[in-house]
Amino acid sequence: MAQRVLIVDDALFMRNLLRDIFTSAGWEVVGEAADGIEALQKYKDAHPDLVTMDIVMPERSGIEALQDILAFDPQAVVIMCSALGQESMVLEAIQHGARDFIAKPFQQEQVFEVVARVCG
Amino acid sequence: MDMSKYKAMFLTEAREHLQKMAALLVEVERDPQNRGGIDALFREAHSIKGMAASMGYQQTADLAHHLEDSLDLFRQQGEITPEAIDRLLAGADLIESLLADIDAGREERNVASFCSGEFSVKEISELPPTEAGSVPEELTLQISLQLHDKVASPAARLLVIAKQLTKFGNVLSCEPSEEQILRGGNVRQLVVIIQTRLSETEIKSSFADYSEVSRLDIETPQPKSEVTSIAGGATVRVGTDLLDRFISLTGELITNRYMLQSAAGDKDWDSLKDGLGRLGRLVKDLHHQVLQVRMMPIDTVTGRLPRLVRDLARRSAKDVRLELEGTGIELDRAILEELADPLIHMVRNAIDHGIDKQGTITVRAWRQRDQVMLQVADNGRGMDPALLRRSAVEKGLIGPGQAEVMRDYDALQLVCLPGFSTASQLTATSGRGVGMDVVKAAVEKLGGVLNIDAAPGRGTRFTLKLPLSVAIIKVLLLNVANKQVALPITRVLQTIEVERNQIQASGKQRVFSFNEELLPLVSLRKILALAMPKAVERVAVVITEVLGRKIGLVVDDFAGQSEVFVQALPSPIDRLRGLSGGTILGDGRIVFILDIQGLLERKR
Repeated sequence: MAQRVLIVDDALFMRNLLRDIFTSAGWEVVGEAADGIEALQKYKDAHPDLVTMDIVMPERSGIEALQDILAFDPQAVVIMCSALGQESMVLEAIQHGARDFIAKPFQQEQVFEVVARVCG
Repeated sequence: MDMSKYKAMFLTEAREHLQKMAALLVEVERDPQNRGGIDALFREAHSIKGMAASMGYQQTADLAHHLEDSLDLFRQQGEITPEAIDRLLAGADLIESLLADIDAGREERNVASFCSGEFSVKEISELPPTEAGSVPEELTLQISLQLHDKVASPAARLLVIAKQLTKFGNVLSCEPSEEQILRGGNVRQLVVIIQTRLSETEIKSSFADYSEVSRLDIETPQPKSEVTSIAGGATVRVGTDLLDRFISLTGELITNRYMLQSAAGDKDWDSLKDGLGRLGRLVKDLHHQVLQVRMMPIDTVTGRLPRLVRDLARRSAKDVRLELEGTGIELDRAILEELADPLIHMVRNAIDHGIDKQGTITVRAWRQRDQVMLQVADNGRGMDPALLRRSAVEKGLIGPGQAEVMRDYDALQLVCLPGFSTASQLTATSGRGVGMDVVKAAVEKLGGVLNIDAAPGRGTRFTLKLPLSVAIIKVLLLNVANKQVALPITRVLQTIEVERNQIQASGKQRVFSFNEELLPLVSLRKILALAMPKAVERVAVVITEVLGRKIGLVVDDFAGQSEVFVQALPSPIDRLRGLSGGTILGDGRIVFILDIQGLLERKR
């Protein structure tokens, strides 16, 4: 059975990019969310194997959404999507239980190296 | 409420409770139906739980609670299973790691997986396996890794890796620490010391898919002492009665000051004399009280022995009993800290070499005038002086002639020579002789003496004669080239005057006969590179012992005994070998306290 991923990012461009990366590797994208509140809702509905979480988003930030999801499911596997200059936020997210992170601009091999490690 | 100021106190007390738990567990293991012991264990776990919970150390509280719950169960059953003992000991070890986390200001490690385990399940046991091959032995490894230069957010990457490493085992240290990593910035290197059951290859392969890591080295870290700190750490608990005495002494000193001031103002010499006499008594009293604060019972270092003996005996499949006597006797904390490792060495030696299959190790302490005697004795196979002599000659440590005239007692001291170990008595963990030189050096550095007696088939006894305190000791003052130096009185076997015509030459070495024994003469002037004196008819000689060998130390003359307050030497003088401290005499002169062994080593 294909593994299932939930993509959380407020930018449609980034969601599409990640969708392509995951589907080309045989993953099933079970949902997309554009803000932190929607992220928790979609997680509860879909119970994905993996969540990719943007950090800076409207409504609830990625770090808050991460905490919401982990409060709902402590076993949730969430990786953060970070851009240059967001290191302190990534550090905070990891402290709060994010399994790993991927850095923009994404490269397919790097994304899957991280994914393989956290889902392996 | 700010609880941080209670942290040190919490750690000290929690460690004391843990040590009691470990000792009780070993006791209960021998007698599983010891209800009193199980009750006491329950209370110790309960105390730790309460303390940790009030400090907000959740993981520690959870684990202590878990142990308490299971102990409650055994309390009701009136019996405890051997598997449960293993698990309780593992739990105690885990609490110790948690305390180390707290001490280092790290986040407590997660104990949920341990707590979710069942009692009586053997696989979770953290103890060394009883039979080889059943569980891989836990190793301590140092993992150093370096990130590629181009890795984005290197601090975050290191944090992920550091978290990953905690899954491999028990992380003992992490450099940079998590707090340092969290500060971000350009950190690209991580050195972690970890206790793990995984092999090097397993760890390396798990990093195979980390393309961010440019270099990964795994090695065995430099051996560290097994006892990193004695229970008590940096805080001391002082009875309120002692504090009250400090206050009243301070009050008296203040009164004394006014008395002296007014006597000086009135030029009243009699009152001034009285006042000074009173001041002398007050200072002496204060001094005595302050030293009291530094005293700690010996069980702060012997407390760990029951657990150590149990584990070592199990590993070597021997039945070893440990008896402790006089552990309430107090010693200066500085001495106790130095004794922790030597004590372990001796006990380990006794198990490895002294005891064959079954035996008893007795660790006893007693007071002898103003010294403390500490003895580690076993009733095992003992040592054979003839064998030791032969072995020392074979290794070239002594000449055949020397061996022939050597008395049995002196032959036993040969085990303290660096590089001495008899092959027939060597095991993987230690060889008798390996480490004994270290023990001897540690004892002598403290101004103490190590005696060894043994007989084949009747056991071995190591007896340490220690000063009560390193702060105040009796010294023998020696004159040498118009300078004064001091030697701890415990290091002096005898002082004599030797007639010139009693001194003989043996090769380059000058020797003289002392109690039918030829002792080498060593000139203190020569060691200190001072001008040699004119020949005199009689020379003053201090008989002392260095590395188990008696020598005669030639000085100009003796300047009497004195009780002195030893002060540690400040940097950079502390780097000079051969000086163990300094003191200021009543007339203001500074006198160095000599460490003869260090001096002789420096000469080489």
